[in-house]
Amino acid sequence: MRNTFATYHPIIEFGFFCVVIGIGMFMIHPVFLAIGASAAFIFAILTGGRGSLKFTLCFLLPMIILITVINPLVNHQGATILFHMRYSYVTAEAAIYGLLMGMMLAAIMLWFSSYNKVMTSDKFTYLFGRIMPSISLIFTMVMRFIPNYKIQIKRIADAQKAAGGGREAETLKEKIHSGIKIISIMFTWALENSIDSADSMRSRGYGLKNRSRFSIYRFDRRDGMAALFLAVMTIIVLAGCISGACHAEYFPEIAFAKATALQTASYIAFACICYFPVFIEVKEVLVWKHLESKI
Amino acid sequence: MSEHYLLISILIALLALVPFFVKFERRNVQARELVLLAVLIATAVAGRAAFFMLPNFKPILAIVIIAGVALGSESGFLVGAMAAFVSNFLFGQGPWTPFQMVAMGVCGFLAGLLFHRYYAKADSFSGRKKLPLLIFGAAAVFILYGGIVDIWTILAMTPHPTMATVIMVYGAAVYMNVIHAGATVIFLLLLGGPMLRKLNRVQIKYGMNEKRCIDNM
Repeated sequence: MRNTFATYHPIIEFGFFCVVIGIGMFMIHPVFLAIGASAAFIFAILTGGRGSLKFTLCFLLPMIILITVINPLVNHQGATILFHMRYSYVTAEAAIYGLLMGMMLAAIMLWFSSYNKVMTSDKFTYLFGRIMPSISLIFTMVMRFIPNYKIQIKRIADAQKAAGGGREAETLKEKIHSGIKIISIMFTWALENSIDSADSMRSRGYGLKNRSRFSIYRFDRRDGMAALFLAVMTIIVLAGCISGACHAEYFPEIAFAKATALQTASYIAFACICYFPVFIEVKEVLVWKHLESKI
Repeated sequence: MSEHYLLISILIALLALVPFFVKFERRNVQARELVLLAVLIATAVAGRAAFFMLPNFKPILAIVIIAGVALGSESGFLVGAMAAFVSNFLFGQGPWTPFQMVAMGVCGFLAGLLFHRYYAKADSFSGRKKLPLLIFGAAAVFILYGGIVDIWTILAMTPHPTMATVIMVYGAAVYMNVIHAGATVIFLLLLGGPMLRKLNRVQIKYGMNEKRCIDNM
């Protein structure tokens, strides 16, 4: 899949997701939600392709509908009564609020689905290696151990099969027992191995002072520009949110803050942030097409 | 009227993790302990991945509880929180991650707090002495893990949780939590003995935990 955004510096990517998810969760406002959800959807399609489309149609849409239905059933605030049921009633405000909540959740899930594609574990380790060195190291080791264990489990299972004269576990009880046996053997091997790695780490100077670190990420001019752009836009949006220019109220009646210049500015700024990855992707494609046409 | 329960609860969950991580970073951890923790986390994650075909029937919390019992409360918390975090790289990160991290961390922490001394001897997890840990395992999964993780479900469903929502969500989760608790008890029963024995042996053999060595003299 195309993913120019993933070539940016990890700090930009992490900051971007913090901002869009943070503001997306905080602002239950139709304009913000429309911008956020549409951008999240397009970006998820760009990074995830068909899988994301399927995820949206089969899981997120039913979820939005479910929340829209459930919210007015349990939440009876609101002035406009749509209809009475036997012992309770349903209000328009609660239904609309439920719809917006559903959209918010869908947007966040879509952001996370791109997050999983963009922020790979190596980038995460790079970002947090300085603040939390021990935990990042554990994290890196775990990521390496898991595929190792898979291979080792295969070996143990084969050996067990050979030792058992080729007879495979048949009943459920046998299967569970053989599974437990394999895990137990694997665990012994892993523990012995871990001591070897620890000794090896020590002999190579783990924990000594003044050791430098290597990473392949470089913060270049492009990253600087992106950081500046996103920071300025975030400040505008935050100004709009905190000053109350983008305030929205749902209970007892739906009411929005009056349209002001700051309000429009924060809408535009939020759109600039959310559509940033999509924008650079489109730009990349256009530049490529242009260069191709010159050949 | 506050509409931001969801965001605030996620922030609280994240903040709850900070003191444990900071304490761990401040303590100059030896390489051997570090690798041992990584092994436990990886085993827990591999366990969750290995049983992917059986929803909710996972050994991950049983392994976290065993880690807490063998290594103490702080390591238990770390193994739980990290196992939840890392396994979500395989199963998908989301707003639920901090809740799962806290929930599993607390299970590991309490297991260590309550049973680290109780199962100090190498072969102490046997016969009737198994019972307290099994009961704890079931209760921890059902009440602590189910309770904490479903806070996210409740707040995702509605911004103004009422008693009705809470009862509905927890009621719908009973079935899943029962399977999960049952799985944890089964795995504790089957894995508890050998894993605790092996963890004790490694700690004593390589002198990683002086107290454990004295206990087993």
